[in-house]
Amino acid sequence: MAAPGKPTKKEIKKQTPAKTSFTSPFASKWSPLPQEDMHFILKTLKDKLISMGLEKKEVKVFRPWRKKKSKKPDVAPQPVPQVSDSSKNGWTDVAARRQLAIGINEVTKALERNELRLLLVCKSVKPKHMTNHLIALSTTRGVPACQVPRLSQSVSEPLGLKSVLALGFRWCSSSDGGVFTDTVDAIKLRVPTLDMAWLQGAKPEEPVAMEEEEGGERRGQKRKLESESEEVSESPSCTLQPLQVKRIVANPAKKKKGKPKKKL
Amino acid sequence: MALHLKDKEAYQRLNYLYQAAHCVLAQNPENVELARFYCFSQKTIAKRLVLRQDPSVKRTLCKRCCSLLIPGVTATTRQKRNKTRFTVMRCLSCGQRKTLLNNPDYCLWADR
Repeated sequence: MAAPGKPTKKEIKKQTPAKTSFTSPFASKWSPLPQEDMHFILKTLKDKLISMGLEKKEVKVFRPWRKKKSKKPDVAPQPVPQVSDSSKNGWTDVAARRQLAIGINEVTKALERNELRLLLVCKSVKPKHMTNHLIALSTTRGVPACQVPRLSQSVSEPLGLKSVLALGFRWCSSSDGGVFTDTVDAIKLRVPTLDMAWLQGAKPEEPVAMEEEEGGERRGQKRKLESESEEVSESPSCTLQPLQVKRIVANPAKKKKGKPKKKL
Repeated sequence: MALHLKDKEAYQRLNYLYQAAHCVLAQNPENVELARFYCFSQKTIAKRLVLRQDPSVKRTLCKRCCSLLIPGVTATTRQKRNKTRFTVMRCLSCGQRKTLLNNPDYCLWADR
């Protein structure tokens, strides 16, 4: 090493070593949604839901020995429904409910089976990994998806739910689904496209025709294989992302446990 | 930094393998084996040279069978609750579960 005077300075520097770690070159990000589109989408949804009157009602059960869960329906000015009432618990409009996939789990399942044609995700979600998987899922199936901040706050009220982090609109074959079709189409135009860096090679096409023909769980894979055979002539080129190495400097303010240092 | 050169090639190799695994699955979603081999090599290299990997990378690799997890293709993601909320990722090939806690205030050490 150098002269004995220098290493002392180096030692001081090295007491907070910088660690390098291999970072993923793909950063799965949602594409930014312009403000107007966001407001438009939120407004459209809200109006639609309120006009539909789709809501989940829960009976306000009087339980003096437990905390009261008051979920009074805001839209309907009716008094609290009686126990003998047939529509005591549940949704007001069951058919419409079936065309929506509400909630992260339901949306994920529907996406895996390729039942959705539009996907809306709430952006103000912490931690983000709760919804991150939806990004990749929807891009592999070619479903337009967008992140809208405050989706949860605006949509949960008319629906009567606590929080709505993901909303999906299903494909509907018959005229039964006329309810949401116009809304979906209007929103679809405004949604920006998502892409993943590694998916540039094989892009799945819009599964319109195939969706109606086949029904089953192997749809996604079958569609991919078919679209590949069509695109065989194209050379699938995935551009290599540059190497990203993250440098981490250990926190100097971190309290170190008193380790018995044996000095030989 | 002193450790620049000898590990840079290794990092490049890791990077290449990771992206190659993604591309493989993008073009042929049935071919999980090749992606698994790439990820296995990646893990072994990192283990051999003691290279640190980012949690974002580690979360997409299955710990047991080393396959690359892509939600929808090779893995299932669900939300569960057991007093606290979990995000559970399940590898489809080996059935290994990976649980992530949904704590809004949690911040990774790496991001600090």
